[in-house]
Amino acid sequence: MNNSREGNSQLALDDGAHIAVIGGGPTGTFFSIFALHMARMIGKELNITIYEPKDFTKDGPGGCNRCGGIISELLVQTLAVEGINLPDSVVQKGIHSYKLHTEQGSVSIATPALEKTIATVYRGGGPKGKVSPDIASFDNFLLEQAVREGAVRKPVRIDRIVLKNTKPVLYAKDAEIQEADLVVGACGINSTAPKIFEQMGFGYTEPEKITAAIAEIGLDEKVIADCFGSSINLFLLPDRNIKFAAMIPKGTYVTLCILGKKVTARTMKDFLNNPVTKAVLPDTMPYEIHCSCLPKMNIRAPKKPFTDRVVMCGDAGSTRLFKDGLGAAYLMGKAAAKTAVFDGVGADEFRANYYPVYKSIIYDNYFGAMLYFVIDIYRKWKYLTKAMIHVVDKEQQSSRDEKILSAMLWDMFTGNERYKNVFMKSLKIRMHADMWEGLFKGLVRGKNETG
Amino acid sequence: MKQGELGKVYVDREIIFKEGSQGDSMFVIQSGKVKITKKTEKEEDLTIAVLGTGEIFGEMALFDKQTRSANAIAMGEARILSIDKKKLFSSISRDPTLVFKMLESMSRRIRKLNDDLTQFKKNKFDVLHACVNLEDTCTLILEEARNLISADNGSVMLLDDKGETLSIKSAFGKKSDSHLQLSVGEGIAGDVLNSGRAELVNNVSMDQRYKAGTAHIKSMICIPLKCNDKNIGVMNMSNNTDRLFTLEDLKVLNALSFYASVAIENARNFSALHDASEQVLRHATLLDM
Ligand SMILES: Cc1cc2nc3c(=O)[nH]c(=O)nc-3n(C[C@H](O)[C@H](O)[C@H](O)COP(=O)(O)OP(=O)(O)OC[C@H]3O[C@@H](n4cnc5c(N)ncnc54)[C@H](O)[C@@H]3O)c2cc1C
Repeated sequence: MNNSREGNSQLALDDGAHIAVIGGGPTGTFFSIFALHMARMIGKELNITIYEPKDFTKDGPGGCNRCGGIISELLVQTLAVEGINLPDSVVQKGIHSYKLHTEQGSVSIATPALEKTIATVYRGGGPKGKVSPDIASFDNFLLEQAVREGAVRKPVRIDRIVLKNTKPVLYAKDAEIQEADLVVGACGINSTAPKIFEQMGFGYTEPEKITAAIAEIGLDEKVIADCFGSSINLFLLPDRNIKFAAMIPKGTYVTLCILGKKVTARTMKDFLNNPVTKAVLPDTMPYEIHCSCLPKMNIRAPKKPFTDRVVMCGDAGSTRLFKDGLGAAYLMGKAAAKTAVFDGVGADEFRANYYPVYKSIIYDNYFGAMLYFVIDIYRKWKYLTKAMIHVVDKEQQSSRDEKILSAMLWDMFTGNERYKNVFMKSLKIRMHADMWEGLFKGLVRGKNETG
Repeated sequence: MKQGELGKVYVDREIIFKEGSQGDSMFVIQSGKVKITKKTEKEEDLTIAVLGTGEIFGEMALFDKQTRSANAIAMGEARILSIDKKKLFSSISRDPTLVFKMLESMSRRIRKLNDDLTQFKKNKFDVLHACVNLEDTCTLILEEARNLISADNGSVMLLDDKGETLSIKSAFGKKSDSHLQLSVGEGIAGDVLNSGRAELVNNVSMDQRYKAGTAHIKSMICIPLKCNDKNIGVMNMSNNTDRLFTLEDLKVLNALSFYASVAIENARNFSALHDASEQVLRHATLLDM
């Protein structure tokens, strides 16, 4: 039954209001950090409780919100401007370039001054069986920031939320835990928590999701430095099941991340046996897979992410397609905080102030989907792959400032730019002229080889 | 030990940006220290601030669209993250609250500048006070001298800028001679200035050098005031009565003369500093508002 007071625009947070944040992942902590900071700016006191059952200092999947752990250039910079500087213990490696591997060759795309603008992190305490003083969890770092701002963290898994007298009441193990003036659904999509919100009946449905694969490959630190340096290795292979894969260096591990439509444990094995992958990994040195998982990825946002006193954010709401989910967590957590503190917590306020940001991500993902469609064609058709490699290679060798395709691929995979802007760049005529040249050369060469 | 390594590493004393250059990015310190310096009119580098981890710099040129107002130089090894102007403004246009933290940091800096300026002005007032009262400094010296020995009259005479004439800057006792001026070598004081040796004269009227003024004195001690081996003036103590000065009095005053000379020289330096500070303050009117 829908008990909500939709349309009531008078729902503002009073001084001393109670906010319950379900999930202490990045979305929940970003929400809390910004809500508390903004409230203090206008002299309002908020009581924020973050419910998070995981201990992020633990190793293995139990302490980890499974992901590749790439903090995009844009997010690193934005956080620095916000005064949230990632400590050295959290940053496992600074990244200054991407290496793109295809069956038709490899190219490298780097930042202009080889400045390390991208961070790789562990979300939890590190790969299973490996607790090290050199590894500090990204999620724990943010959670501690939120607690420093004034949030209270409770290690509780919420399993039911019921509206009583228009206010949401939280339950855990059938015991009433708290009545809240606002509930923030930052529970991600890797548990049954989205169902709790579905059952509240305000129209929210769990996001559409796919399964991805992650593995931590243990290697000697020197081998990682030699083989990977400060580069993320990206694989665009003609494999039907793999959209793209990435190998992300971090200390004594390389995180392997595979995204695709039908990813299973088997996909991972096949990928590691692919000659292109084998050429990247050391041929003499054995490697070990220490930790692996099959997390879910949000590929389509639900239509109704709010009602009076409830708002859904981050992975449980809308996120960026196939990249920079952490950047989206920042964006959506902050947008929800801004609305709650400055505008109110009624459905009308969320519709007017939060929903435009939410929809802008959905809208941008349409451009993303188009770009991935094009990239799919390029990676599947060998002459196009060759042309692409040819153009990027030429751009990287050239002193010309405008490296259109390199910049496009960089922005696309680093999460540095919105998909729409990348798409707009793709319309530049010069790049197409270069592509045709590359394609022509590829075809001629192909013909000579076969003929 | 693993190194978190975001940003770019600058070695000790490496210039991150130069005063007067165009600014396309701002910077956030990841580790180490950066000093912000500015060239003075005399072409010397003046350190305005030393910044540490997490601090932002170089943002001014982005907002006021002018060239860099200062130099930024690494102090020891420093790791710096740069933030591109275009990206930053595009993010701010979508989320104006992004500038909250920057505004906080900028207003903290302005507040500190205001505090510094207030302190500077206060110091300037003290300086002004001290230099206007070079005479007061001399009075203070005489007071101290009177605490040490008994005398009916006393004066501090300083050489003028040209180094030709000694004139009284402060005196006590018989006031009638307060306008007395002596050339170098003239009278007992002029001679002591010349020789640089302290003298005790217990029968002044018998001394041929004595230049009688309107006040009649019977005995005197005259101590040269020296600074950097240069005689800058004399301190006189005298009696109208039959009371005689002792060798001990001479020694005590001689010891005092060392501190007296330093105090007088400081007062003069303060006066020069005051002129310079006046000039700087004229350029800093913005923060007066
Ligand atoms: C394979 C893969 C690779 C990825 N790689 C990257 C990458 O490299 N860079 C990037 O930016 N993004 C990446 N992402 C996306 C990123 O992981 C997510 O976008 C991000 O974690 C979303 O944060 P969140 O806080 O919304 O959700 P989560 O990180 O999932 O956090 C949700 C939290 O809620 C808690 N919770 C759940 N249920 C309850 C409950 N009932 N009560 C209380 N608490 C609860 C959970 O314990 C969890 O801590 C990747 C995703 C996948 C699947």
